[in-house]
Amino acid sequence: MNGGNAAGAAGAAGAAGAAGGGDGRVFDLGYRRYAGAREGRARARRALFINGVRTCFGLGRGAWPKALMVLFFGAAMAPAAVLIAVGGLFSDLGGVPDIIDLPGADEYYRNVSPVLLIFAAIIAPELLCPDRREGVIHLYFARPLTAADYVIGRWTAFFAVSLALIYSGQALLLAGLTMAAPEPLEYLRENWLDFPRSLLAGAAVAVITTTIPLAVSAFTPRRAYASVAVIGAFTLTLIIAGALDETLSPWSRLIDAGSVQVYVNDIIFGTYGDSFGDKLPTAAALAWYAVVAVVPAGLLWNRYRRLAE
Amino acid sequence: MSSAPLLEARELRKNYRNVAALDGVSFTVERGITGLLGPNGAGKSTAIKLFLGLLTPTSGEALVLGESASGNVEVRARMGYMPEHDCLPSGVSASEFLAHMGQISGLPPDAARSRAADTLRHVALDEERYRPIGEYSTGMIQRVKLAQALVHDPAVVFLDEPTAGLDPVGREEMLALIRRAGREFGVSVVLSTHLMGDVETTCDRIIVLEGGRVSESGEVAGFTAESETVFIDVDGGADALVAALSERGLAAAMDGGSIAVQDVGDAEYDHIRDALADAGARLRRLGPRRRRLAEIFRSRR
Repeated sequence: MNGGNAAGAAGAAGAAGAAGGGDGRVFDLGYRRYAGAREGRARARRALFINGVRTCFGLGRGAWPKALMVLFFGAAMAPAAVLIAVGGLFSDLGGVPDIIDLPGADEYYRNVSPVLLIFAAIIAPELLCPDRREGVIHLYFARPLTAADYVIGRWTAFFAVSLALIYSGQALLLAGLTMAAPEPLEYLRENWLDFPRSLLAGAAVAVITTTIPLAVSAFTPRRAYASVAVIGAFTLTLIIAGALDETLSPWSRLIDAGSVQVYVNDIIFGTYGDSFGDKLPTAAALAWYAVVAVVPAGLLWNRYRRLAE
Repeated sequence: MSSAPLLEARELRKNYRNVAALDGVSFTVERGITGLLGPNGAGKSTAIKLFLGLLTPTSGEALVLGESASGNVEVRARMGYMPEHDCLPSGVSASEFLAHMGQISGLPPDAARSRAADTLRHVALDEERYRPIGEYSTGMIQRVKLAQALVHDPAVVFLDEPTAGLDPVGREEMLALIRRAGREFGVSVVLSTHLMGDVETTCDRIIVLEGGRVSESGEVAGFTAESETVFIDVDGGADALVAALSERGLAAAMDGGSIAVQDVGDAEYDHIRDALADAGARLRRLGPRRRRLAEIFRSRR
């Protein structure tokens, strides 16, 4: 069948080419069946992950989403850049005077948490809301993909981009602090633990800033509503926790969805209690972190499990 | 190739609360173009979603090539689905979207991109494929919906009301594409529609669902086989001709502007010739007419 089409089309095109004096040929191969590899769910999951990363960076879309990501990376690296600049300024003078208390690697996530919150509030809805609002989700679930595959694909994509954002600033800070030190090798010897601690703390922060915004976004098809809800979830819990902390117990501070990962960051850097006091046992903070990570993840998965049916 | 039927419903039942959308139906669908016909609420979309594994049957089985998609999602790699409702992203191009959906169906990236370009060409989207889908007309959107269902070269494609919202020209183009998919591409098609005309001009076989049950099934050609009704158009003398035909024992009656003669075999054509001569009627047209599906189903009620 196809061969006949090809021969016929080639013949016609060849004749046309001869008449026109050229030697170009157009071959209409007709419809071709696909006999190549079919890689099933593994390929589907990988494609969903790559698509998610591309969506975060605005690839395949207009200029504004790309510019937004540049802004986010700039903002995430800004505190590090300021610290490096200040450190560099004083390096020729024998180091930063004690009167200036520059924040170190352990305080980086606390400083950039507003940037991470806005990033998560804007980008997480992009990954989930349009698929439901525009009905694309029905096409995904009619393909070799389960609800769990979809959720994991989107979650890992956003987690990877969040990690890249978080690590970019932290890497710049660590590199800057090292180079700005009067004795860089000495600095590295004394502070080498900051590197694995930063990686671990960054992942701990990213788990929360990935899971809660995605879980919130799973319950509305509108991106704007989801963004407002994400910011609301973090700010309202902060306000409520602050109000209750004055009147009730320090345990009420756990309500603040934005501070639990900061507690874990402090635990990792060994500074837990310095800034928040030692009112809450370390085990309680870790257990609450697990709850704050797992419950939204469960809600997210359950939401899509029901959508897939 | 598997010897299992393309699709098989075994005592398939789906209840929504206490309402049976499908009431224990059993049928098989062979390769080719099959129409799933029925009014709104007949259970057509439910049947498709059960075959795709998007719904779990209350009881019974919905098998595709001998396997259940609800138990093994990998089967869906050989199935395509064009929903009735909106399902396309507005912000990306058709080319990029199809390449992505090809990969979601399990194709490697290079193959998916190549198949996306080929499939969009087959549905007559050339340069437009690089524009965002949000800028497309209704007809173009329907064609992209069909293309995404075909991009991974499925064994069977389910089309749910594919001509919905199209103008007459767009509808004819869509039906022509479906016929090409079924006959030239070799992809089996299950066409769900409430429009008998779509089934009549496109499908090889038909399954009629009413109230969650199969009320009719078989070859479309069998339903619309040349009827034994012969229609005669004359210029004047129609009443005399009806009388002459009746005198010869033929069941003749006016039907609109034509004379309909029932139960006509080879011998009856001689009587018609003689009746025309006796009545002195000038013959304009004479011939059997294929009955339309709508007429057949109406006459059985």
